[in-house]
Amino acid sequence: MIELLRQLCTLDGTSGDEGAVRKFVISQIKDCCEYRIDNLGNIIAFKKGKKTPSKKTLIDAHLDEVGLIITSIDQNGFLRFKTVGGVDTAALLFHRVLINGKTVGVIGGKPIHLTGGDERKKLPNADNLYIDIGAKDDTQARTLVREGDRAVMCSDFTVIGNKILTKALDDRVGCAILIKLLQKQAEYDFYASFSTGEEIGLRGARVAAYSVDPDAAIVIDGTTAADIAGVANENQVCRQGLGAVVSFMDGATAYDREYYNAALSSGISSQSKCAVAGGNNAGAIHLSRGGVRTLALSVPCRYIHTAGSVADFRDIDAVYKLCEYMINKIASDRL
Amino acid sequence: MNIKDNLLSLSNAVGLGNIYHAANIAFDIISKYTTATKNGLNIIGRLEGMGDYTLLLEAHIDEVGFIVTDIDSDGFLTVKNCGGIDLRALPARVVTIHGKREVTGVFCATPPHLAKGEQKYDDISTLKIDSLLGDTARDIISVGDFVSFKQEAVPMLNNQVTGKSLDNRAGVACLLETAKRLSGKELPFNVVFALTNEEELGHRGAKTAAFSACTDEALVLDVSFADGPDIAAKDCGRLSGGGMIGISPVLDKELSNKLADIAKENNIPYQLEVMGGATGTNSDVISISKSGVKTGLISIPLRNMHTDVETVCIDDLISVCDLLEQYVLGGALL
Repeated sequence: MIELLRQLCTLDGTSGDEGAVRKFVISQIKDCCEYRIDNLGNIIAFKKGKKTPSKKTLIDAHLDEVGLIITSIDQNGFLRFKTVGGVDTAALLFHRVLINGKTVGVIGGKPIHLTGGDERKKLPNADNLYIDIGAKDDTQARTLVREGDRAVMCSDFTVIGNKILTKALDDRVGCAILIKLLQKQAEYDFYASFSTGEEIGLRGARVAAYSVDPDAAIVIDGTTAADIAGVANENQVCRQGLGAVVSFMDGATAYDREYYNAALSSGISSQSKCAVAGGNNAGAIHLSRGGVRTLALSVPCRYIHTAGSVADFRDIDAVYKLCEYMINKIASDRL
Repeated sequence: MNIKDNLLSLSNAVGLGNIYHAANIAFDIISKYTTATKNGLNIIGRLEGMGDYTLLLEAHIDEVGFIVTDIDSDGFLTVKNCGGIDLRALPARVVTIHGKREVTGVFCATPPHLAKGEQKYDDISTLKIDSLLGDTARDIISVGDFVSFKQEAVPMLNNQVTGKSLDNRAGVACLLETAKRLSGKELPFNVVFALTNEEELGHRGAKTAAFSACTDEALVLDVSFADGPDIAAKDCGRLSGGGMIGISPVLDKELSNKLADIAKENNIPYQLEVMGGATGTNSDVISISKSGVKTGLISIPLRNMHTDVETVCIDDLISVCDLLEQYVLGGALL
């Protein structure tokens, strides 16, 4: 699992540019299931199990990660950009980025010595940020970059005890879990979608769910863990090391209560998501066609959507086990 | 090793408080070219020339970072900055904590659901470091341990390099290269190289180095602000424009002029940086050491100062080495 995650997180795949991640996922699943790529770039897979359940279940994880898109190149060769998905300006200022997977740039700014008063205490307006690739002028910059190219925050992949520190854990943790489920002998048939464009509005999952037309769905994603210094217990959402996070409600979905209860009483390490905040592909999937009974299982991630996001292997393992348990539970109990 | 390789390895090493990785690398190099000693805070390398006159060439080797002041039971650290740090740039920043062993940590970022309006970045004690060690943090980390940025230096376009602590490993790399060039040459006077510590804490190493060196004249190498879209042209030099020769009431006017003249005569790229008083560099303290020292300053243009994405251009470093070499061989102010 560590090696699989290392490979997945190291790949760059901002929304709408998931090709490299898609290619890697296919290399991992091609021999253990049927799959196809749809018009929006989703991988839709079918895993044959020992038994065929009466209900069709879809497991979803998203391929894309948050990042940057280059919007213009000025005459001095500095690049302007917009964020793709939600990225806090605090996680951008003075960070190193990689453009098109090969050109190193830095998001520059005025040094602290030249700032004063409120300017020093407040983040700059995101629209004023720029990327410096060291180009002499726009002509040289254009030999490497053009408008519409993507950038991601540079990061290493570091393992410390049970923790991983890297970019893109949201949602490569989900991709890794789904790959492992597809690689294993399944008890019951299930469908899988590795979907695109989650970070810009749950776009891939919407059409994948339409195509698959499932009765039930399980969404695997990363979610905010605010179990950090200075945050009161009631605002922590979930805690690392306490297992899979099961949602009762978030900003996009009121979850199927029977699934929620079944997941929490599985005996596998799990916790409730104690906040009605955020959202994931469940928001699109549960409203697909005439409605889909949906469960969300999340890996608690600290500093999510930054180059320094952190997950805990114990939680990843719990989500993997709980997802498998729920596929079988939904099938065998006809939930 | 050429100057670029030296700069990359010096940038990746740490020089902060009692962490002497960068100093150890620099000491090994300067020992090849000079009679080198480690003198308290500093590294001193001597090249003997004719007569009693002594020129001090100085660059500070320390970097900005942090020191641990508290460790909570969940492994979150409170730190104080060592040197000027832009607090706005700390969330999600990856760091190395120099505990009983080196461990990787990350500055906490405010979770999105708790971000209320505009956050103020004016108190470093509110910006905790997650040591990722949970309740075992105290076994490895103690108060008083240093924390450095974790960033590997890499090349960029046009012979530029980006990384941490290029302020002032760029100056150190120039001094090491100059020592190499002057080593074995017949020198008109003694040249003392000083790589000093604790500049970022208040020019401390330079005070003792200047005292011990008994110098007649000094040239300080440091970095200064390079251009960027959000910096007024009057406040900065130009990256790739050559070394910035300082002109200031605290600097020796004749020395500044001579540097510019030599650069011009030898077609060495340079630019002038005029300041109204204190330069904010070690030249402020070296010039008033003992009974006074005629002091000059050359600054290497650098972007994003005091962050882990500082950038410099190697061409500027080479221009500075060319200028230093010509200045010394030309007799300095003697």
